[in-house]
Amino acid sequence: MVRLADLPPSQAQRLAAFECPNFTTEPWVTGPPLSQRRVAIVSSAGLLVRGGMPFRGRDPDYHTIPPGTRPEDLLISHVSINFDRTGFQEDWNVVFPIDRLNELAAEGTIGSAADTHYSFMGAAEPDLIEPHARELAGRLKQDKVDAILLAPV
Amino acid sequence: MSALGHYLEEEGIATVAISLIRPQTEKTRPPRALWVPFQLGRPFGPPGEPAFQRRVVLAALGLLELPTGPVIIKDFPDDDPREKADPSWRPPSLPAVPADRSPSALASRLDAEILLLADLHRRWIAEHGRTAVGLSGLPIQELCGYIGEWLHGREPLSLNDQFSPLLLLRFAADDLKGHHLEAGAAAPGKPSSRQLYDWFWSATAAGSALIALRHMLLASDSERVKLIAGNFLVPPPYVPSTDRPTMIAGPAMGPWQPGQ
Repeated sequence: MVRLADLPPSQAQRLAAFECPNFTTEPWVTGPPLSQRRVAIVSSAGLLVRGGMPFRGRDPDYHTIPPGTRPEDLLISHVSINFDRTGFQEDWNVVFPIDRLNELAAEGTIGSAADTHYSFMGAAEPDLIEPHARELAGRLKQDKVDAILLAPV
Repeated sequence: MSALGHYLEEEGIATVAISLIRPQTEKTRPPRALWVPFQLGRPFGPPGEPAFQRRVVLAALGLLELPTGPVIIKDFPDDDPREKADPSWRPPSLPAVPADRSPSALASRLDAEILLLADLHRRWIAEHGRTAVGLSGLPIQELCGYIGEWLHGREPLSLNDQFSPLLLLRFAADDLKGHHLEAGAAAPGKPSSRQLYDWFWSATAAGSALIALRHMLLASDSERVKLIAGNFLVPPPYVPSTDRPTMIAGPAMGPWQPGQ
């Protein structure tokens, strides 16, 4: 609905000053050229497939967006009401750019788009998300994914 | 989002994050991030603009090929063209919200408003092939009735045994907003999100009903009700000045627990 700068000052400051993890390491993984990479989307929009259980409170686990998910199947259940939903309503690529990834794969710019994608809910506590993220990494590696596009809202 | 990048990269998979709040990204220092100057909720830019979205995706993925790091934080140079208001857009014609904005009066207006917007909402679905409404799992008339029960001062039983009454209220409110925003966007033109939200919160009975409900529930004896109503019904820019503060402090809202 708004940019950060358009929020009431107190809230903009709260978001900007949001307590962030203080990591002591700086991981860095390299890989082949994009044209050989398999790319998955990991969203933090609280996405779910219609009929599934929406994110409640600050659930730290993730939902799977399986192969064949259609635009009419995907919903947002992020707990925050402070971001625009109308872009997603009009075009799911605003939040979940799967059509763009598939186009890039078809033309050979990236190696492939993964068949399965994932969503967390971004307001969850990072330390509670951590075990789920590490478990997800195993699934992604099984799917030969070697590049992840992280998409917030 | 940046924390996710850190965890996944530690597990051996390269990541690149879109950043909407640069100060958070600067603090968390993910391996790679592309900051975009877009509004919250639009990480890949404007809807219906595949060429623009493609540039954002490519700018982000391109960071995976940079040899130096960590940490890489780059800025995307262009604004979202759909943030500009469309002066040709005319919001749906609705009766003026009545002077009597008592919760019970507004509840009685909700059903009528759904009927008035029905054609536009059908047009939206026909043009876009989808609706993003559906968290509550309730048909629109039924969820309006459920919100109406709350407006009348009753705490109704949940209509879904997987959701507490309060959780269902939050999802029903999300669905009501979503329904109206889709109907509003179906009117001719390409309104900005600001135009749509301004219309919803100032000119619809639904918007007034949710503002009134927030006000009413803030007097609840339940801290949980006050927390949910205060923070998850009306966005801060639209909370009336008489109902400030816009955010309600409360116990940290952790993962969902049964009964919430």
